[in-house]
Amino acid sequence: MTTEPLASHSPSSPDDGEVHHHVASARRHVIVLLALLGFTALTVGAYTINLGEWNLVAAVVISTLKAALVVWFFMELKDDVAFNRLVFLGAVIFIGLFMAYTMNDTRHRNRVDAYNGARVDPRSGEFAGGTAAGIVAQGGELGPLPVIAAESDGEAAHE
Amino acid sequence: MSTEAHGDSHFLQHHYDTPAQQFNAAKLGMWLFLAQELLFFGGLFVAYGVFRSWYPQAWVVGSHLLDYRMGALNTAVLLLSSFTAVMAVRSAQTGNQKATGNFLLATIALAGVFMVVKYFEYAHKFEVGFLPGSHFAPHGVGLAEIVEAARESGVNGVPYHLRTFFGLYFVMTGVHGLHVLIGMFVMGWMWNRNRKGEFSTRYSTPVEMTALYWHLVDIIWIFLFPLLYLID
Repeated sequence: MTTEPLASHSPSSPDDGEVHHHVASARRHVIVLLALLGFTALTVGAYTINLGEWNLVAAVVISTLKAALVVWFFMELKDDVAFNRLVFLGAVIFIGLFMAYTMNDTRHRNRVDAYNGARVDPRSGEFAGGTAAGIVAQGGELGPLPVIAAESDGEAAHE
Repeated sequence: MSTEAHGDSHFLQHHYDTPAQQFNAAKLGMWLFLAQELLFFGGLFVAYGVFRSWYPQAWVVGSHLLDYRMGALNTAVLLLSSFTAVMAVRSAQTGNQKATGNFLLATIALAGVFMVVKYFEYAHKFEVGFLPGSHFAPHGVGLAEIVEAARESGVNGVPYHLRTFFGLYFVMTGVHGLHVLIGMFVMGWMWNRNRKGEFSTRYSTPVEMTALYWHLVDIIWIFLFPLLYLID
């Protein structure tokens, strides 16, 4: 390896020091836009036919594909220097870590006690706070449906 | 300003050797800023995940209280605005000053449409009392909407944590909306700089950085839309 000017490592600049853009065709941008709109229609379609449990999976997978299209083509990470890609990927990975570790805690609180056959907070004798199981067990999540009077036209009639 | 050393490169700041070096520095800085933005919104998405897993019924009923057609319309509007933003960049890179200005204006206009739709959504929620946290006090039509949403979701009652759902709804869409407003302001600024002829085939960095920011705002909405409006 001979020493080269730093700028030549960038695909956007050969040796003359000028910025050389990869100017994409307008046609490609139109195709990406149509793909994005198509995926949006697909998301809404999946919702209206109701995939049940799979709605969340479908929504997140399609959204990720759409975001990837935007990042790769519109934000042109495709033609960007490797370090910028690393910065972006780093942010995504750390969000994933943040999400995974946090939810691995919050989703499973109360579970250890359940495993031991006692779904209570051993210190207070109550259900562990801040957990779905504890709240539902206390009848805390659902309140009664409001009674809608036939004549009601709204405005604080039920305060 | 050492204009002598750099010829007509009036845009080149004295601490950079070449336009390419300045461009690469700007772009790295922008990506670092965008990474920070992603982590900022990431915190909100983690909060969303935690509360959704704790209060699934509130999330299902809450999403039925949002109008998914409005959300879908706004998704299409923002995607279109990302397209006009990328076309503004392309026009600037190819030296088409007039097209650059027009595409920037189109992007601002689409961002405006997004905010108007958002305004109608917010106005309705304020009116019927779908407010965050302790301010949650549905009344009038809001009560009937909750009964209907609960029926559609197969939930027998009003989830207490609907207030938490609307808390996150307003924080997430509110912070996103603030980003849209800032984007409109910055694009207006770019439009003016373009009008004054500050950009050329050699220098269009500010337009490109603005577009990168705008695409990120679009990406956040790409996730917000299905996660808030399309739960079942």
